[in-house]
Amino acid sequence: MDSDKRRDSRGSWDWDNPQCRAQLDEIFFRQHDYIQAGSPEHKDFWAFFDRFQRFRTKKDMHGLGHSKSSETGEGKEGKLDLGLPKEYDARYRINVSVCTGDVEERLGRSDHRHRSSGVGKEQIADCRLAYLHFLDFRQRQSFGKLAKLRRDQKNLPIYQYRDRIVDLVRQHPVVVVAGDTGCGKSTQVPQYLLSSGFSQIACTQPRRIACISLAKRVSFESLNQYGSKVGYQIRFETTRTEATKLSFLTEGLLLRQIQQDPSLAQYQVLIVDEVHERHLHCDFLLGVLRSLLSCRPDLRLILMSATINIKLFSNYFASAPVLQVPGRLFPIQVIYQPIPPEEQASRLEKLDPRPYLRVLQGIDQRYPSEERGDLLLFLSGVAEISTIQEACQVYATHTQRWIVLPLHSTLSLVQQDKVFDISPPGVRKCIISTNIAETSVTIDGVRFVVDSGKVKEMSFDPKAKMQRLQEFWISRASAEQRKGRAGRTGPGVCYRLYAESDYDAFAPYPVPEIHRVALDSLVLQMKSMGLGDPRSFVFIDPPPASSIQTAVTYLREQGALDSRGELTSIGSLLAQLPVDVVIGKMLVLGSVFNVVEPVLTVAAALSVQSPFLRSAQHNPDCATARQPLLSNQGDPFTLLNTFNAWVEVKGERGGGSRKWCRRRGLEEQRLYEMVNLRRQFKELLKSHGLLESAAPPAAGERGQRRERLTERRKLHQLKREHDLTEGSRRKVLRLGVDAEGGSDSGSDAEDAGKRSKDKNRPGQSTDIQEVKFKLRHNVSELQEAALASQDLSSRQQSILKLVLCRGLYPQLALPDEHNSTRKDSEQVFHTRNKHSVVIHPTSVFASDPEVLQVPEDEVRELGAERKGPESSRHQLLSFVTLLETNKPYLSNCVRVPALQALLLVANSVDSNADCSRLVVDGWLELELREPDGALKVLSSALSLRADWERLLLARLGQSLGQGQGASGAGGVSRKEMDKLSEGLVRFLLYTEVSYSLRRLTAFQTQNLYVGPQPESEPIKNPLFPGVEAKPDPIKGGLRVTTFFTYNCLADSRDLYSECLRTFWTCPNCELYMPFTPLERMQHEATCRPPGEVQDTEAAAESSMTTSSLSAPSLTRLYHCDVCDEDLTLTSTEILKHKRQHMASLK
Amino acid sequence: MEQEVYAPQQNTFTCVLCGLSTPFTYFGQKPPNTRAIVLLEECFVTRDPFSPDKERFLVLGSKCSLCGSCACVGSDCSLFYTTRFCMRCVNKNLEQFPAAIQSEVAKKPTSKPAVP
Repeated sequence: MDSDKRRDSRGSWDWDNPQCRAQLDEIFFRQHDYIQAGSPEHKDFWAFFDRFQRFRTKKDMHGLGHSKSSETGEGKEGKLDLGLPKEYDARYRINVSVCTGDVEERLGRSDHRHRSSGVGKEQIADCRLAYLHFLDFRQRQSFGKLAKLRRDQKNLPIYQYRDRIVDLVRQHPVVVVAGDTGCGKSTQVPQYLLSSGFSQIACTQPRRIACISLAKRVSFESLNQYGSKVGYQIRFETTRTEATKLSFLTEGLLLRQIQQDPSLAQYQVLIVDEVHERHLHCDFLLGVLRSLLSCRPDLRLILMSATINIKLFSNYFASAPVLQVPGRLFPIQVIYQPIPPEEQASRLEKLDPRPYLRVLQGIDQRYPSEERGDLLLFLSGVAEISTIQEACQVYATHTQRWIVLPLHSTLSLVQQDKVFDISPPGVRKCIISTNIAETSVTIDGVRFVVDSGKVKEMSFDPKAKMQRLQEFWISRASAEQRKGRAGRTGPGVCYRLYAESDYDAFAPYPVPEIHRVALDSLVLQMKSMGLGDPRSFVFIDPPPASSIQTAVTYLREQGALDSRGELTSIGSLLAQLPVDVVIGKMLVLGSVFNVVEPVLTVAAALSVQSPFLRSAQHNPDCATARQPLLSNQGDPFTLLNTFNAWVEVKGERGGGSRKWCRRRGLEEQRLYEMVNLRRQFKELLKSHGLLESAAPPAAGERGQRRERLTERRKLHQLKREHDLTEGSRRKVLRLGVDAEGGSDSGSDAEDAGKRSKDKNRPGQSTDIQEVKFKLRHNVSELQEAALASQDLSSRQQSILKLVLCRGLYPQLALPDEHNSTRKDSEQVFHTRNKHSVVIHPTSVFASDPEVLQVPEDEVRELGAERKGPESSRHQLLSFVTLLETNKPYLSNCVRVPALQALLLVANSVDSNADCSRLVVDGWLELELREPDGALKVLSSALSLRADWERLLLARLGQSLGQGQGASGAGGVSRKEMDKLSEGLVRFLLYTEVSYSLRRLTAFQTQNLYVGPQPESEPIKNPLFPGVEAKPDPIKGGLRVTTFFTYNCLADSRDLYSECLRTFWTCPNCELYMPFTPLERMQHEATCRPPGEVQDTEAAAESSMTTSSLSAPSLTRLYHCDVCDEDLTLTSTEILKHKRQHMASLK
Repeated sequence: MEQEVYAPQQNTFTCVLCGLSTPFTYFGQKPPNTRAIVLLEECFVTRDPFSPDKERFLVLGSKCSLCGSCACVGSDCSLFYTTRFCMRCVNKNLEQFPAAIQSEVAKKPTSKPAVP
């Protein structure tokens, strides 16, 4: 390369000598010059210089060079009209000049010094000429890019509608732009608006990834690649600044922004893209915007859609004008190849691969392998993909003409990414995908599409409170979309494995999401946005009223709505958390106790896809490596362990975490998502006053801070470099190696091998996720948090479980009584609404079900009436999801002590007269052997719950700034909370009561309650003040608290125990007297050990004002019939008072 | 305010030959931050959008020295030979250009699509 040396006549001048070059640098590339010595461009220049010199030498040798001659200056003397120099010189074609006269002059004066080292006029001229050509070259390069960009823009089908679109938007508040794939609407429409003077434009996308890639593309096209005119906003990342005029954001995020800023004053133009996909958020957003338009007449709304069902959108917005733009698709041949009956799989069989293989064979026969073009195969689900993949792989190995790649969302990102790599010549990719490739993932170079016509869709069964993943025929719109994937880069072929008559019978459009899913979060959000009754909201395509009713009921059960359907204080907080209601509840509950750090982690972990890759489950190495992370307390604990271990690895080894994850079959991306989400949760809790802000960094750590600052600067630099070098250079797949793609995740041998090759490229080696992670998080702070939640004491663990359980309530499952006699794989559970569900194989309880069973030696004896074993160790499963695929599966389960958990979280606890029999939520029956113990347990539960509720409300009242007088009490003291958690722990861990636990049969539930009784003796003195203890109108008995109804169970055994008094000594006040069960519980609920009374009284005052929930206040008005006086007494005092009279009567 | 908001952007350079249209930030021979560099003609200049460096300029085009029409620097639209000529003028006066340029122009497809 460097062999070419030009030596000038002096002999001492060597162009390759850095010192010689440095002398020229001093003339042309000084510190304030356009290009500075040492800069990357300066390096480029010298590289260019070498090439340029070689080029000139070659030209000289061929005698073509006219360049040396001297006619240059005398161009003007030419006799031609244009006055052009006769002799051609490339120099004349450059419109730039470099003035270095001053420097040269200065150098000339101190002549001798430079003469010795040899820089002369000739060298300066050479360098100058090269410099001019370099500048010219650079100009051409950039201008070429610009021209190509403009050319490409012009060639888009939408270009000719440019002015029309802008005009329409100027004249109409709402415009619908409908155009098919490839017309350029997503990238161009925002630019057209931008360049015609609109600003403050927001463009929503259904997917986060699209926000990023569109922002990138549009900023490039609008020549603002390095500015911030165009940005994106997604959940954890924003590039939006003051200068941003156009931002891409997710539909969900825009909704959140409306929640904060109901008039959406920050935007002038809203573009809602991909409205035809009919996502839940999008449908809702359209509804909200529709009503927003009336108070924002200046707002401009543009809906962009495929050419599907356009009328629907136009009509929804008062017949908004529609502009249709043709797409740019190549012709696609459709071939119907219905699967013959003998190859059709029945519901339980595996898919027959023959029809699919025939397509591959057909392609091999019909199309020469030199003609490129890949195959995209649409199947309904992961199991189907692996069946067909296996068969295709055999064929591929045999023919050496295919690389088979699966594509679905549970694959690792590295594997998903492989579908974009290029196959070697003569080999086609066969991508077997779910409907993810229909819209979310676009793969270029696909020529053949095979469409099974099937899709698996999630639906919600409100009756069983269960999600269901079912296979359906696709819609005609989906079929067309799938077909279109074959014609993006050239003419294509689409094989439909169904008959044309089937196609004709398909539904025209897919079922919109709003008709398929649970609407809890939607209804909650609507409530918090003050949109009134969800049932009367004008949706573009209203969901069934029953669906909304289910959601309202559910939210009421969860305490997010009150009985009138209005938002409670918990509800309004939950509405602001961008997570499921249950997860949000966990966060709020966790913040009350000292388990915030682990709850934050668990809540984040349960809100993202599991980091545990399914494919690695059968890899023995991964299984071994994962072992220490598993917790038999439940899957959330495993996730917690995993996160903590990962944070520790991050702290110690930084980038080494990637390898650590690979070894365990973990998708690190999910952990990054978790850590981001966790931080967002933390900030939300802080901003709601549910979490103390961290203390400012201790003084004297200035050095550390400076160190961190330097590090951050370095990281920012790395990120910038990464952003610049991030050319999507695609790897070439290798036959045989990449082909087995599906089965190898987790084994690092292959990945590592490939990676080490890539790593030779500098820039690529930075793990950008690691850089972003370090920029966003303080590792040592995280480590502290991880440490805090690492070795949880059994007390913390039990509190954490309780928090999870209460958050997840009513999602509880009971182990079947015969599980101990069943095989591990056949363990059966029951939920309230769905019987016989099983544990998902990914759960820790699938492999270790014994921990759920009552220990043999604990079983006292079998109840006489076949009520099942008695023990104090019954457990229930609290679970996050119930999803039916081929079977109903529970996933993400935690085991909890049954009696204690039920008494502390259940919405309905009913008892018989002596409280030895309890029915919870109308489906679980508990029989306690000793009535005395039963009473004790029940009354501790009642008082714990009352305290818990009171503290929670006080805390929320504090955080929402709606003190309602409670603020005077200074909110909740640490001491009180500690005491409560101490009490809860004691209750959870040390309640040793033997009981039987079983599910009620349908028949039993029918005759459960005594029903309303003729009130023989009106209850004069409701014993639980603060709550109206009155007969329950349906169940009968006495409704003592919102959740506890006393003596309503039809229980023939003991008719008198209600009024039977037994002697009992209160451990607190040492009062000794006969009590009825109810009196005793009541006494226990209000009697506190001495010394504590003051606290509780103060708190009780506040709770009285907050009302609504079951917090009892201590004193109340009591009218004594004997004294005929109104007394203000605590309940205990009333009892004492009554006893006085009793004693005096004797 | 409203008028300002909806008004098309000022200072747009448009090539009369190919229709390329893009905003410019400077017109003249000495774009900002160019130090020793001088342009030999008055040019429409913008900041180079493809360079991370804010101080890099990009010449979009200039006025033809004969007919005065704005032409971009793309080789299909104009050429610089001691001064700027739009391709229309080059073609009109082709014989006056040196042989090297003549053959270069001849090689190009003659049909020059004008503004659509």
